[in-house]
Formats: sequence, structure tokens, C-alpha cells
Amino acid sequence: MNIAKYPFAILSAALFTVMLITPITSITNLIWLASADMPVGFITWVEVILFDFQRLGIALYAVVVIGFGIAFAVAGLISKYSSYSGKYLFAVAGSVAIAMALFLMVELLFQTQLLGGNRSIIGKILHCVAGFFGGYFFYSLISVERSYTFIVRFFGILYGYLMLSPVLAWVFTPITAAADFGFVFNELSNTAQNALLRDFTSFFLAIFLFAILGVITLNPSWFLSAGIIYIGAAIFNLVAIYIHGTEYNQIFIFEFILGAWPIAIGLTIFLKDN
Amino acid sequence: MKTKVILSILFFTSTVFSGYKYETILDNLDDAWSIVFLSEDRVLYTEMPGKLKIASLTDKSITNINNVPNVQYGGQGGLSEVILDPEFKSNNIIYFSYSAKDANGKSTLFLSSAELKEDALINNKVLFEAKAPRRSPVHLAAKIAFLNDGTILLASGDGFDHREQAQTLDNHFGKIIRINKDGSVPADNPFIKDENALPEIYSYGHRNMQGLVVTSSGDVYEHEHGPRGGDEMNLIEPTLNYGWPAITYGIDYSGAVISPFTEKNGMEQPLLHWTPSIAPSDMIYYEGDIYPELKDSFLVTALVSKDVKKVTFTEKDNVQENLFSELDSRLRNIQSSPSGIIYLLTDGPKGKLIKVLPKE
Repeated sequence: MNIAKYPFAILSAALFTVMLITPITSITNLIWLASADMPVGFITWVEVILFDFQRLGIALYAVVVIGFGIAFAVAGLISKYSSYSGKYLFAVAGSVAIAMALFLMVELLFQTQLLGGNRSIIGKILHCVAGFFGGYFFYSLISVERSYTFIVRFFGILYGYLMLSPVLAWVFTPITAAADFGFVFNELSNTAQNALLRDFTSFFLAIFLFAILGVITLNPSWFLSAGIIYIGAAIFNLVAIYIHGTEYNQIFIFEFILGAWPIAIGLTIFLKDN
Repeated sequence: MKTKVILSILFFTSTVFSGYKYETILDNLDDAWSIVFLSEDRVLYTEMPGKLKIASLTDKSITNINNVPNVQYGGQGGLSEVILDPEFKSNNIIYFSYSAKDANGKSTLFLSSAELKEDALINNKVLFEAKAPRRSPVHLAAKIAFLNDGTILLASGDGFDHREQAQTLDNHFGKIIRINKDGSVPADNPFIKDENALPEIYSYGHRNMQGLVVTSSGDVYEHEHGPRGGDEMNLIEPTLNYGWPAITYGIDYSGAVISPFTEKNGMEQPLLHWTPSIAPSDMIYYEGDIYPELKDSFLVTALVSKDVKKVTFTEKDNVQENLFSELDSRLRNIQSSPSGIIYLLTDGPKGKLIKVLPKE
């Protein structure tokens, strides 16, 4: 467990840092929109920040994980072979990792500034500050003994993070979300529109909340509940295909994966507890 | 070998199914971007690295044109659009757009004119330099068209990193520009009396425009790349704001929300938008008689969907049809010859000029 905590600490610190970084771009865009007389209200702020945390965050996550992996390995070597050590060493390493990652994304890859929030000096500074806190968080994770619940919680949070995408889509842009499932919203009857919105939204929101409650309480029932719902979706997808004759699709594979994932977490907790 | 034979049969079959046949006229074109017909069997075309060439479509000989200005090739920049003066037969003048560095070493969009004399350009003149400096040559747009009054429209892209400036009138990012053939500003330009606006601006709120067409009735149609989703086709009117990036149907390449808004008073809605993106790259309004089924429709080439969208507009909606998808090529440019035969230019370092033969 002592060795396993390092990679999971990197993954957790990267997720934490992404959570800090993405609002920089969101807020930059929102401030400009407000300055351009667009009707930016509270709901707009919440919607944009959450969407960016999910969609932009996923794109950035791999970049931050790689950056942190290199930076924290170097910081670990420095702390081992020099008198420099402690939380500030890792915090600075996190800051440097973010700065380098953003710099190289422009210079080596895109030649343009893909992150809207990184176009200004203050935006660049804020990204580095986010990296600083990410490094600090990493150190706090590795500096104490960790039990299996650390890894369980990480996978639970990651699951909830992935589930955030359909939740946001159904809450904020239900017509687009419906179109992704093949519904032409405006062609449905009023009753059908209502049923579609309430049932799909509650389906995804329930799974998301079960995962989060599972992470908080470490009660396996929450994870098992989330898993049962998704496994059910997979089974009835196959029923629809093979018994009711709907067109074949491969979505059931993802539904099985998304069902098996929380069930595995729930069973792990259950077995460890007993 | 067996696979190749099967693929060839499949290709032939699909060609027959669509009813069109294709003939590759030129190949190994180096990032060719724009073609224009000098006559039924001679084309003038640009290659992004900075080459301007004349090709004979009969004997396939190619002549390099000398004295082309230095361009900044890279990213999305280089020698871009070329068009002929409406009086070309008498004055031999051409107009071309390109990216190059400004006095401060920044990349921007230029429009020049020159006289085409045998195999060289003479009397080169820079007509317009966009006040849109950027660190690298991206989102230049660079499309050119003549209005029926003889003035020139030039599309100047948002420069990617400068998208917000498409909403302000003190720069040329995300604007359609209107100038006279000598580079001067027409006295009736829409913002000429606005001291806070640059006088060349015709319309604003654009992104990366890659199609610009003036129909014989004088209507101006444009299409532009959206980010992820939100490619648009617009009917352009002077003074109007087309909304980018305050309203858009797309999201950023990174996944970030650019704007959650798709409409606002004072900002124009597109005639249509493509979500997901097709990456529209050029457009003509086909008025020839060779392909009766295409007459009076817009033909839009696409890089991502690798086809041509035939677009027609009804009173309330638009009708689209996918054409030439059996070519399975990123299509960069489309032109109609003087007699009305359609030619397609494929994208990339080994581009082809393909003649579309009418249905039998």
C-alpha cells in the first residue's frame, strides 16, 4: 500500500489541480462575455464552470498527470539527495510542471494558446498557483500512511467525475443531450418530452450522487446501487436488441463497464469490511 | 494486390452509383489552395509555400510564375487565394492574398495585385495589410471576391488567439474588408464615418472564413469554420455583426465553453450551421448548365466530411445533399470552368486537381 499510494497520489493531485485550473478559463471567458453585454447570470456561471471542469478537465487531466509524474519524481530525487525537502519543494515542482506543460503545449504542439485562461499574464500566474497547490496536495497525500480506502475513494471520485458529463448535459442542455440519444426533442409530444427529461436526468443524477455518497461514506451499498442501475441498462439494451428487434449497438459494452466499475468498488469495501 | 483489386472495384461501383465520374487532371500539387480559370483549358493556381503556377489542362504542362512576393508559409498560412480582375482579358491583373510578417515581425494577412505578364508578375502592389498581428499564421481566412460594383471583399480571420477582437471595430480580426481595386477605401463603406472603427470593415463577428461568394444578383454568401461544431453559412450584409465569439453553436477544441449563448439581439443568426463540424473550405454558386441537378445551388467543399455539400435554401429552411464522397478526399477548393465543368482541388502536399464528369 505504501508504494501504491504514490501513483494514486499523483492521479488525485492531478484531478485536484484540474479542478483549480479549469475555472481560470471559464471565468476568463465569462468575464469577457459579461463585458460584451451578454446576459451572464448566476446559472450561466455555474453551467460554464461545471461544463469546463468536466470537458476541458478531461482533456487536461492526462497532461497534468504526465507533468506531475515527471516533476514529483525529480522533486523526490532532490529531497533524497539534498537538504531540500518538504511540502514546498513539491508545491514548487507542481507549479513548474504546470508552467512547462502549458508552455510546451503552445511551442511544440499547437502554436496557439488553446487555453483561453492562459492568454493573459494573470492567467499564467493563476495556472502556476494552481500547480503549486496541486504539489502541496500531493505532498499531504504521501506524507501519511494510507489504507486501501485511499484508492477506493480515488476510483469512486473518478467514476463520479466521468458521470458528471451526462448529468450536466441533461440538466443544462437537455435538447442536445436528447439528440445524442437519437431523440428529436421538438418532434416528441409534450408528455413524451416531460418523461424523457425527468427520467434520463434522474437516471444519470442518481448514479452520480450514489458514487459521491459512496466516496463520502464508504458504504458499499451506494456503489452497488449505482452498478446495479447500469448493469440493468446493459441487460435491457440487449433485451431491446434481441427480443424487441431494435438496431444493434455496442453501447451495452460501456454500460457493463460503467456497471461493473462501482460494483467492483462496492465489493472491495464489503470484503475488506468483513 | 487482391485487396487493391477489390477496393478498385468498390470505388468504381460507388462512382457509377453516384452517377459522376472523375478524371485526375493534375497531381502532386504542393499544398495547392486556390485555382482560377484563365480559359477553358488553362488554370492559374496557388501553392501555399509561395508558388503561383499556370497549368495547361490539355497537355498538363506547368509554368512557374516568377516575382511572387515572399510569403510566410506554415501553420495555416502561405500563398492563399488568387482571383482575376473582372477586366482581366484587357488588363491581365490578378489579386492574391497571403500571410507574411509585418514591420514588427508579427504574422498578418496581405492582399496584393499584380499584372500577369507571360511567366512573371509585374507592377506588384500591396493593396491591404490587415491590422491583425498574431504570433503564428493561423486563422487568416484570406478569401477574396468582387462585389458587383467592382470593389473587393477580403475575409480576414480571427487569428485564433484574438477571437474576442472579432467583436471590436478597431482591428481587422474576424472582419470582412471592402476596398477598391487600388487599395483605397470606398466612400460608401459602412463604418467610414465611425471614428472608432477601421474604415475598411464591411461586416464583423466572424471566425475563419473559407468560402466567400457573390452571386450574379449581388448577394454575398460566406461560410466559416466553427471550433468544435458551429461551422456557419451566412448571408453577408454591410454593418452587421455575425456574433463570433459571443454567440456560437460550437465549443472550443479543448472542450471549454466559448459561449453558452447561441443568439442575441443585434447579432445575426447563420443561414445554417454544421454541428459536428464539416470544416468547410470553399464554395461556389453553380449557375452553369453542365450539371442540371446542381444548377442554382451552393456547392461547399469540406475537409473533414470529405465531400461537397449541395446547399439550397427554401423560404424557411435549407436542403442539403452530399456529393462526390466516393473521392474520400479532403477537398480544398472548387471551381467551375467557363463552360461550367466542375473541378475539385484536394488538400495536402500531394494534392490533385480532379475534373467531375457530368452524369451520362
